Amino acid sequence: MPSMNLSITRIGWLKRTAIGVAALLALGLAQQFLASGNGSVATAQRKTTSSADAIKIPFESYKLANGLNVILSIDRATPTVAVNLWYHVGSKNEVPGRTGFAHLFEHVMFTGSGHVPYGLHDKLTEGIGGNNNGSTTNDRTNYYEIVPSNYLESALWLESDRMGFLLDKLDLAKLNAQRDIVKNERRQSYDNQPYGRVSEIFSAAIYPKSHPYSWPVIGSMEDLSRASEDDVKDFFRLYYSPNNATLAVVGDIDIAQTKAWIAKYFNDLPQGQPVTRPSMAPVKLESAKRLVYEDRVQIPRLYIQWPTVGDKHEDIYPLSLMGSILTGSRTARLTKALVYDSQAATQVGAFQRGNEDVGEFQIVVIPRPGHSLTELEGAVDAILQKFMNEGPTAEEMQKATSGRELSFLRGLESNLGKANQLLDGAVFHGDPGFFRTDYLKTLSVTAADVKRVANNYLPRARVVLSVVPKGKKDQASKAAESQTVVEQRAEVRGGKS
Amino acid sequence: MKQHNRLIKLVLAIALLASFGGASFGQQPLDRTKVPAPGKTPQLSVPTWTKTALPNGATLIVCESHNLPLVSFTITFVGGANQFEPADRRGLAAMTASMLSEGTTTRTGDQLSDALQLLGTNVGNGIGSEEGTMGFVSTTAKFPATLAILEDMMLNPSFPADALERLRARTLIGLTQAKDQPVIISGQVFAKVLYGSQHPYGQRATEASIKALTRDDVMAFHKAYYQPAHAIITVVGDVNPASVKRTITETFKPWIKAGNQPSFNYPLVPAQGTAAIYLVDKPGAAQSVFNIGLPGPPRNTPDYFALLVLNHILGGQFQSRLNYNIREVHGYSYGVNSSFAYGKGPGAFRAGGSVVSGKTDAALIEFMKELHGIVGERPVTDEELKTSKDALIQGLPRNFGSVSSTGGSITNLMVQGLPDDYYQRYAANVSAVTKDDLLRVAKRYLDLDHLAIVIVGDRSSVEAPLKATGVAPIKILDLEGNPAPVSAGGSTNNAPK
Repeated sequence: MPSMNLSITRIGWLKRTAIGVAALLALGLAQQFLASGNGSVATAQRKTTSSADAIKIPFESYKLANGLNVILSIDRATPTVAVNLWYHVGSKNEVPGRTGFAHLFEHVMFTGSGHVPYGLHDKLTEGIGGNNNGSTTNDRTNYYEIVPSNYLESALWLESDRMGFLLDKLDLAKLNAQRDIVKNERRQSYDNQPYGRVSEIFSAAIYPKSHPYSWPVIGSMEDLSRASEDDVKDFFRLYYSPNNATLAVVGDIDIAQTKAWIAKYFNDLPQGQPVTRPSMAPVKLESAKRLVYEDRVQIPRLYIQWPTVGDKHEDIYPLSLMGSILTGSRTARLTKALVYDSQAATQVGAFQRGNEDVGEFQIVVIPRPGHSLTELEGAVDAILQKFMNEGPTAEEMQKATSGRELSFLRGLESNLGKANQLLDGAVFHGDPGFFRTDYLKTLSVTAADVKRVANNYLPRARVVLSVVPKGKKDQASKAAESQTVVEQRAEVRGGKS
Repeated sequence: MKQHNRLIKLVLAIALLASFGGASFGQQPLDRTKVPAPGKTPQLSVPTWTKTALPNGATLIVCESHNLPLVSFTITFVGGANQFEPADRRGLAAMTASMLSEGTTTRTGDQLSDALQLLGTNVGNGIGSEEGTMGFVSTTAKFPATLAILEDMMLNPSFPADALERLRARTLIGLTQAKDQPVIISGQVFAKVLYGSQHPYGQRATEASIKALTRDDVMAFHKAYYQPAHAIITVVGDVNPASVKRTITETFKPWIKAGNQPSFNYPLVPAQGTAAIYLVDKPGAAQSVFNIGLPGPPRNTPDYFALLVLNHILGGQFQSRLNYNIREVHGYSYGVNSSFAYGKGPGAFRAGGSVVSGKTDAALIEFMKELHGIVGERPVTDEELKTSKDALIQGLPRNFGSVSSTGGSITNLMVQGLPDDYYQRYAANVSAVTKDDLLRVAKRYLDLDHLAIVIVGDRSSVEAPLKATGVAPIKILDLEGNPAPVSAGGSTNNAPK
């Protein structure tokens, strides 16, 4: 994928990548990190000669009468299988006053359903050497099981039961227990994390109030407290129907048997109402914003963010390459100038982050002692101006794309990773095979394309955010012009609902 | 009339039956209460590999896997910072590894970076406490060229003085940033409490040790460390064993026989004091970070498999006793766990996680309840034992999920001195563990009278409640793990920062 999504997961400590990505994202290094794969050995082709030949994931897809989309892909490298179910609903489908609900709901999906008592889901996954998790982004919610291949039928049974019968066993006590856990997830991943609130400060600053992307996926403490049992029921009925879901089964499977099991467990789930989705145009800021946030940190950081475009827009390909050209290696423009030559910074990162409808381009700079954020902002702007004038060199273009084949191939080592690629294409682009289009589009970006997006987006009104130590607002870039971000969401010390 | 009515009823019943779930008439309705039984257990296949002693003293392991055109290459050095670093030069090993990317006698750091980026890959270097690695994953086509660059980095580094200063500054900033991270502080203080400042397990890089490093130190460390006698070369992927041996022998011709296998003689671990709570103040923290434990056995303990099962039940999975209780039942945390840090020496047993500040005391009581439970108050049940064994045995393929994880899994056997058929015997070893074994090892290794309970959190709100639990006396430590100045009253707001 040329851009990346922030997602939050049901289980934090079992999923090292969840924490790793968050930490790296803060440094703007997430793309490189995400490029490396892990998981289980994979697929088909023996030898490849050219780059495009290697970009293959064999699959077949079909649709049940109730609207459930299905994607199947065989990979017999290990006797395991990944079942991965995406619902096309995320935090952007929430309403103001109930932020964080899509993710809270994801947690509720693990508390048992009509025919599955609490705990059995884990027993039929981690209890047999597999695992399970769920994650929520602005745009979608997913649930997966990785199991030995002889447990595929029970994994499909588990997913079908909570798609069809979640509400049969729902009660307020379960909701409350998950609410407390999610609040702790928020504390652990955002509030007790240095620089942990940056992403939600940006969401609020870039998007107009009540815009569906203006609140964080994790939600606010107050809203999490408000969510009611009726909210759970309404949300389930609106969004958790087969016609709003896509199921991928990837791994050591027999196609005919898998189809028969899917029919057995999913065919009789009733189709729901058609889901209407808000259509959202990319936003533009009316005027530049300059913010300062005091955090429990000792070293300040400078963040600059521009609203750009979402993942369906062609410009994400050159925008993504622009990130690599600016900070993707030690000879990248910003890295070379600020970390190696002037050494005013210890780390810099730049990347396009895209969602289904909207996106942002972000730069983050960690200064070295003795160098102010004001100085660094000026230095960044001078380099960007030069880049806008010149555009990238041929070598820069080549370096920015040369790692794509390897990252794609490493992604094929994991059944879950392959399932996510197929699902991303199916859900957001209407084609499970979109990964190949995506790859080819990335490789066909020209230097002129990158120069064009640089000149299109970088001169636009932007948000500059300085994160500074408590009581050190004077360390902000252009401190006198910066507006203080107040702690709107701080909870009462020691409180727990 | 009557008959007619009955007919209508029958027709209605059929229509209702058909409308329910769309199951066609005559088909047996699906009984969703029945958990689908697993299919035939798939054959657990462990990869095979060749092991060769090279003339220079290094060991070469080659494991073929032709699923994808990928190669994982790693040189692992047995022994790490603890064996090769002077105690007053902590950080030297990691610094030396970083310096290998800064240039060779024929390539600058920029040239190395560009060459690797154009090959689509990157060479990773690192030295941990007991082993070090240098390696990469590349496409099959780019393997020889990447290998040649790795060889140059390892054997011909130029150690530019200005690069050392830049990396020194980056490391010092990293040390400063670590002070903002309660999770890192808690781990560091825990190590210091358990092992003191004389044992390498209790030592780490400090501002003073980083400032003291010289270029001569780095050159001397490089000369002593990067030697073939304690090196294991592991190649996994799309290679032919005979030709890859030729390529490696040819590429590493200048790497001549030198060095020794390190000894792992550690000083005795200091006697553990009676159980105590070591509280580190992080004013305003939203959560308290727990590390509870004591020194444990080395990896070569004959009790390894019993401890593996024991820890799996106590805190090694989502439905472990600790996580079930503290997260799922009580909602005090987003996740807690436990682990043994097996190494050549007495690595720590620890249980912990991040807990909402207001429930610090309640969470401590639950941690202690589970620890007392596992050492005898609530012995492991047959059901727990069976599920744990199933999970561990059937989870074995996870070790071989990618070329790099396969390489790591094989190499680890050599590093830890485990037999080559370890994975073949793994299932039998796990199966042999009994409930008696679990109770015996729990009593032996979880000495609850000498637990160190390290908690990093907001002292002003958590100290008094912790004291009231009566679990253990409280000692206040600073961020470095040294006794903090005693304040009057102990639990008041004028606690030292």
